[in-house]
Amino acid sequence: MSLKRINKELSDLGRDPPSSCSAGPVGDDLYHWQASIMGPPDSPYAGGVFFLSIHFPTDYPFKPPKISFQTKIYHPNINSNGNICLDILKDQWSPALTISKVLLSICSLLTDANPDDPLVPEIAHIYKTDRAKYEATAKEWTKKFAI
Amino acid sequence: MSTRSKIRVRVIAAEGLCKRDVFRSPDPFAVLTVDGAQTQTTETAKKTLSPHWNQSFEFSVTENSILIVQIFDQKKFKKKDQGFLGVVNIKVGDVINLNDTSSEQTVAEELKRSNSHLTVSGKLILTISHQNASARDSRDPSNFAQTNTSAQTPASTIASPSVSSPRAPVDTGNLNNQFPGSAAAAAISSSVRPAPARQFSSFEDQYGRLPPGWERRTDNFGRTYYVDHNSRTTTWKRPTLDQSESQREQERERAREAERTQYRNRSLPETNSQVDQATAMTMAATGATSPGLGELPPGWEQRFTPEGRPYYVDHNSRTTTWVDPRRQQFVKSFGNNGGYNAQRLSAMGPLPSGWEMRLANTSRVYFVDHNTKTTTWDDPRLPSSLDQNVPQYKRDFRRKLVYFRSQPAIRILPGQCHIKVRRDHLMEDAFRDIMRQTPEDLKKRLMIKFEGEEGLDYGGVSREFFQQLSHEMFNPFYCLFQYASSDNYTLQINPNSGVNPEHLTYFKFIGRTVGLGVFHRRFLDAFFVGAMYKMMLHKKIVLQDLESVDAEMYKSLCWMLENDITDVIYETFSIEEDRFGEKVIIDLKPNGRNIEVTNENKREYVELKTEWIISKPVEAQFKAFMDGFNELIPQELVSVFDERELELLIGGLADIDIEDWKKHTDYRGYQESDEVIQWFWKCVSEWEGEQRARLLQFTTGTSRIPVNGFKDLQGSDGPRRFTIEKAGEPDQLPKSHTCFNRVDLPPYKDYESLKKKLTIAVEETIGFGQE
Repeated sequence: MSLKRINKELSDLGRDPPSSCSAGPVGDDLYHWQASIMGPPDSPYAGGVFFLSIHFPTDYPFKPPKISFQTKIYHPNINSNGNICLDILKDQWSPALTISKVLLSICSLLTDANPDDPLVPEIAHIYKTDRAKYEATAKEWTKKFAI
Repeated sequence: MSTRSKIRVRVIAAEGLCKRDVFRSPDPFAVLTVDGAQTQTTETAKKTLSPHWNQSFEFSVTENSILIVQIFDQKKFKKKDQGFLGVVNIKVGDVINLNDTSSEQTVAEELKRSNSHLTVSGKLILTISHQNASARDSRDPSNFAQTNTSAQTPASTIASPSVSSPRAPVDTGNLNNQFPGSAAAAAISSSVRPAPARQFSSFEDQYGRLPPGWERRTDNFGRTYYVDHNSRTTTWKRPTLDQSESQREQERERAREAERTQYRNRSLPETNSQVDQATAMTMAATGATSPGLGELPPGWEQRFTPEGRPYYVDHNSRTTTWVDPRRQQFVKSFGNNGGYNAQRLSAMGPLPSGWEMRLANTSRVYFVDHNTKTTTWDDPRLPSSLDQNVPQYKRDFRRKLVYFRSQPAIRILPGQCHIKVRRDHLMEDAFRDIMRQTPEDLKKRLMIKFEGEEGLDYGGVSREFFQQLSHEMFNPFYCLFQYASSDNYTLQINPNSGVNPEHLTYFKFIGRTVGLGVFHRRFLDAFFVGAMYKMMLHKKIVLQDLESVDAEMYKSLCWMLENDITDVIYETFSIEEDRFGEKVIIDLKPNGRNIEVTNENKREYVELKTEWIISKPVEAQFKAFMDGFNELIPQELVSVFDERELELLIGGLADIDIEDWKKHTDYRGYQESDEVIQWFWKCVSEWEGEQRARLLQFTTGTSRIPVNGFKDLQGSDGPRRFTIEKAGEPDQLPKSHTCFNRVDLPPYKDYESLKKKLTIAVEETIGFGQE
């Protein structure tokens, strides 16, 4: 029963909330959550709050949850639709992973982008060739959309 | 004697004639002869390999008349071979029915050689038409034999002996003597069309070379046009090399062509071993094996059946045989390839009913199965253990095929089954014709016709039909099938096919078509996921089968088996399904929703869930498919095969190019130069087609090769080249990972052990996705 497992994750999150993240159901539908991530202090996203939407498939945790950014963000692995390129949300998913673990992985993706496997090649190119420009733009977007 | 009618033959053009000289093109003209009595000659076209004549001639014919069209180079007509460029022989009755009130047919025939053995190439295009009404009020038919001043032999007496061999080549030398006038006439009329001064070959012009596959031609008004041989189209516009769109189209076309070639090269072991059809035919016509010479061996006697056919009694063993024992001596001395000798032949007892043993002209014994009208090198009496040198996998599959084909249920019934389709409405027309007929009708000899195209179905047309139709039926566009998650070319039933309310009728149609292909020995250009073949055989679905259907679920279930699921999996023996927003719970076993899945019972859960995921969502579709399939192929017959053999039975055995395979292989832990790798390829190249296909099935899950070769091999996560990884101990068998096209090859100590282990792995593993 996916619902049982989702309920358990919800209660775990309440009992032992991860630092700089939060998550919970949007309304009555336990299969649809919203999460928020604080921009990591050592990143150009510092100070911003980023919202994400989480959809659990009916065969969760056999299939990974669908997670996307609702707040616009300038990042080589996150595109303008908010889609995230992260292996654990795709072929590296395992039933042992939880929403809490996935959110922490997304946090570390904000600190350390992976420009070698980019979702937005233009941003990845700037990230690799002109780091200062990348950081300035990311800061600017954070100020504009996430604060 | 059949009545004479008047026909009109329009010689339109020839193309791709043989270029015999380096610097000049021939001046071709055509000579038409009917029954060796009526002759007409076209004008001469200048300096071209693709002459356009477009001239009509009238002839008086019967349906047995033979029209011979020969092409000569006018410049060389007086030389020894007369500049012969090819000949086409047409039996009038084969092209048009003279009893019809009127008809017109276009014929495009490959040019043939004469007896001079000069090479010949190209095609001749002509139309033959006739109108009965005009024939009736015409004058005495003999008047039509205009040019012929010699003997007025009734045409039919000349034509009749050639009925049995309508392709008898014409003696060109004779023709020269007989019709000197026609050659002269041709020479005179040759200067009609002004030939443009051309310094460039037809593949270039003042702007440079044309793109590959393009040719420049001139029409009869002197206008230049371009022929695209890649797509078989013409255009007025000169193609340029940087025309990306046309190049893309060319590539597409090349791919289609490659696909065709690959498809046509498919076969099965039984067909590989078939004796040359012509030999079999003549031997069938003459009756039994030709008698041997000299005295019969002691204890033998020749007797005759009431029909007068000789047979031989061996009083030593109290057996009879159709085969002359003196011939068997012959077998004994030459027939080592069979692996047995004359003594053993007679010791095996009589052949099964309907079988006959014959001798090929190479003195090798072969067997005719009159039940199925097939021939094979394999003695049907030989138990598989006697074929010492033939590997197990082969004995079994070939034997199964022989058994399968000999069954009355899949014998071709008398009569014909006509299917007529339009190329641009292939699916629709095939659906109509295949569903309209009863399964019994579909078991008659297939006669497939593409509307508006010539060509009688002696196999080629129906092969083309099955190939094109399989591309249509299985096109994911129709939502009936979709590609497997593990690659993008193996097919599975689309669980959402219900968007088409007619889908079940279509699945029945597809099932029938697959059955029709198997029944009539035509291959489909389609490969299903392993689970589909297992379901067709009513075999148990296992977790490995899920890999190609739903790779994510497969991984999670594997994880579940390998790990402690406490606090991770909170499942019961049930499935939750989202039906248009409403969540429905379905029990996997009675009261399943109240039984918790634990570390103790998780295996059962995985088993039930796998089976449910694979078969449940497509249950109705699969049932409709099998209903159609079983109408042609009874379930108990197809059950003799395993799932891999079934794949080969439906799709045929591909011709596998070892060099291409080798070239696109990656190594992990090995170097290409390593001994083990050298042994591996040595072993593979020593193998025959079927075993290579089995190795492919073992390592990639399907025997299908991508159209453009191994470089396009796909894995579950995108392109994945074939990979050999160093893994395992030398006493272990190789392992495969079909999702990644990888084989784990232990570092064997010598060639013999590699060969042995690899053979065992490939032969003994039943089921896809060995992990």
